[in-house]
Amino acid sequence: MDGSSSNDTTWHSKHPHLGTGPLPTNVFTCENQFQLEREHIFKKLWLNVGRVEQIPEPGNYFVQDIAMCQTSILVVRGKDGEVRAFHNMCSHRGNKVAWDKHGSCKAFTCKFHGWTYGLDGTLRSVPDEKNFFDLDTSKLGLTLVACDVWEGFIFINVDPQPAEDLTSFLGEFGTRLHGYPFADISTSSASWTTEVNANWKVVKDAFLETYHVAFLHGRSLPDSFTSQSNPHNQILDLRLYPYHGTISLYGNADVKPSPVGSIAFRHGASLIRQNFDPNAPPPGVNPGRHEDWTLDLNTVFPSFFIDVSEGSYFTHNFWPVAVDRTIWHSTQYFPKAQTASQRFTQEYGHVLFRDIILEDGRTLEETHSMLASGAKKEFYLQDEEILVRHSHHVIQQMIERATGTHAHV
Amino acid sequence: MSDATLPASFSDLQPWTSWALATERERSDKRQASSMEEILVFYNALLPRAEAALEYLEQYPLERMPADANMLLLLTLSLAEVAPAVELFGQPGVVDGYDVRRFQPERRG
Repeated sequence: MDGSSSNDTTWHSKHPHLGTGPLPTNVFTCENQFQLEREHIFKKLWLNVGRVEQIPEPGNYFVQDIAMCQTSILVVRGKDGEVRAFHNMCSHRGNKVAWDKHGSCKAFTCKFHGWTYGLDGTLRSVPDEKNFFDLDTSKLGLTLVACDVWEGFIFINVDPQPAEDLTSFLGEFGTRLHGYPFADISTSSASWTTEVNANWKVVKDAFLETYHVAFLHGRSLPDSFTSQSNPHNQILDLRLYPYHGTISLYGNADVKPSPVGSIAFRHGASLIRQNFDPNAPPPGVNPGRHEDWTLDLNTVFPSFFIDVSEGSYFTHNFWPVAVDRTIWHSTQYFPKAQTASQRFTQEYGHVLFRDIILEDGRTLEETHSMLASGAKKEFYLQDEEILVRHSHHVIQQMIERATGTHAHV
Repeated sequence: MSDATLPASFSDLQPWTSWALATERERSDKRQASSMEEILVFYNALLPRAEAALEYLEQYPLERMPADANMLLLLTLSLAEVAPAVELFGQPGVVDGYDVRRFQPERRG
C-alpha cells in the first residue's frame, strides 16, 4: 500500500510499475480476452452478491445469476443464522431449485420431481426414493459455494478451493474501512438494474475516474465537485492495493444549492457536499483527512464499488454477460427514514444520483459501439485516470500469471 | 388517486394530485410523459408549499401516515423527481442521457 496525500508530483510517479503508456483497445472487444477473464478472474476471486440486510431472517434467500461464472447462486440464511451459498441446482437432474429472485421458505423443493433440500443444503427427501439405485442421499445436498461476510457485504467464490480467504483477499483495504457504520446506514436501500450493451471494463472504467465530472456532469453537478481552485475535480488522495483501490474526491463546500436542493439540505446530508464534517467518518474514510473531502470511491476488484460519504453510501456491481453486454446494478443506502423530511431528502439525493449516472450510462454504449471499428488501437490515460490503468494492469497480470503467457489478444 | 383529498390546509394543491404516485417508476414515467410546461406548473405550485408540507407531515411517523397526509408526502416526492428537469436540464429527461426506462428500480426498507 502506498498512501499519498500531497499532489506535488504525479500519482503515476508514485506507482511506476503501472507505466504511463497507452491502453490497447482490443481488450474491450476480444472474445478470447473475455474467456480468459472468465476463467482466471471471475471464477477465481471473491465476488460481492449482496448484503446481509436482504436476508435478515432464517429461511430468507436471494438468487444472483452470474453469467460470467456460468452459474446461478442461491444465498440463504440458515436456521442457525449462518449465511450460506449454493449452486442453484438440483442434484437429481439439474433444475434450478429456486426460481424466484428472492423469497422466504423452510425448505427448497425442486419443481421438477420434488426433491427437497433443507436451508443448510442437505437433501431431506426424495419422492419414491426406493425406486432409485444405490442412492446415498447424504452426499446429494446442494453444492456449496464458498461464502463469507465482510462488514455486512456477502461475497461468494465459485472456485471449489479459493486460493485465499476473503479477509486475505480484501487485505489492508478491508481493515481500513472498519468502523464505517455500514449496518446503521444499510437499513434502507434503493437500487437500479439495467443491461448495457458494452464490455464490462468500458462500464467499470467510467466509474474509476473523476476527470469526466467537470464536462460530462457539467449540467447535473454545476460547481458541486469543481470550483475555481479545483476546476477539473482532481482527486485529493489515492490508495492502491494489490487488487483494490481508493480515491478521495473533492467537494465544493461553497456550492449554491438549487431551490429544491436547499429544502433537502435543511433536513440532512445528500450526495452533494453540504452540512457535514469531513473529519466525522472513521479514520479509514477520508484517510488523508482533507477538509474539502466529499466522498471516497472504493473499488473492489474485479467489479464492485463501495463509494462512501458521511451518512450515506452507494455501490455498483458490474456483471459481465457477454463480451459486449454487462448488467449494471447500482444501490444507494440510507438510514431508514423516520420522518417525511428525511424521506424527501433521500428521494432528492436518489433522483439526482440517478440522473447523474444516466449521463454516465449514455457514454458507455456510444463508446462500445465504436470499439469494434478498430479505428483506434490505443486509448490515452492522464494522471487522474490511474485507477483505470491499475484495473487493466491487475487484469492482465492475473491472466499472465495463470496462463504463463504475455497478453492475450 | 386524483379523487382522493389532501389535508384541508393543503387543499390549494388539489389540482396536482395526479402527481401523487407511490413508486419511483410511476413518478419517473409521469415526468418523462409530461411536457416541460406541465412540469413547470407543478414545480411552481409545489415549491413554495414544500417546506410547510414537510413541517405538517412531521406530526406523523412515516410508517403510519393517514391517507391524506400520505398523498401530500407523495406530492413532495414528485417535486424531488421533477427538480432536476427544471433546475438542471431544462427538459423532462436527462440531456444526452441513458434511457431511464431501462433502469429497473427496486426499494428495500
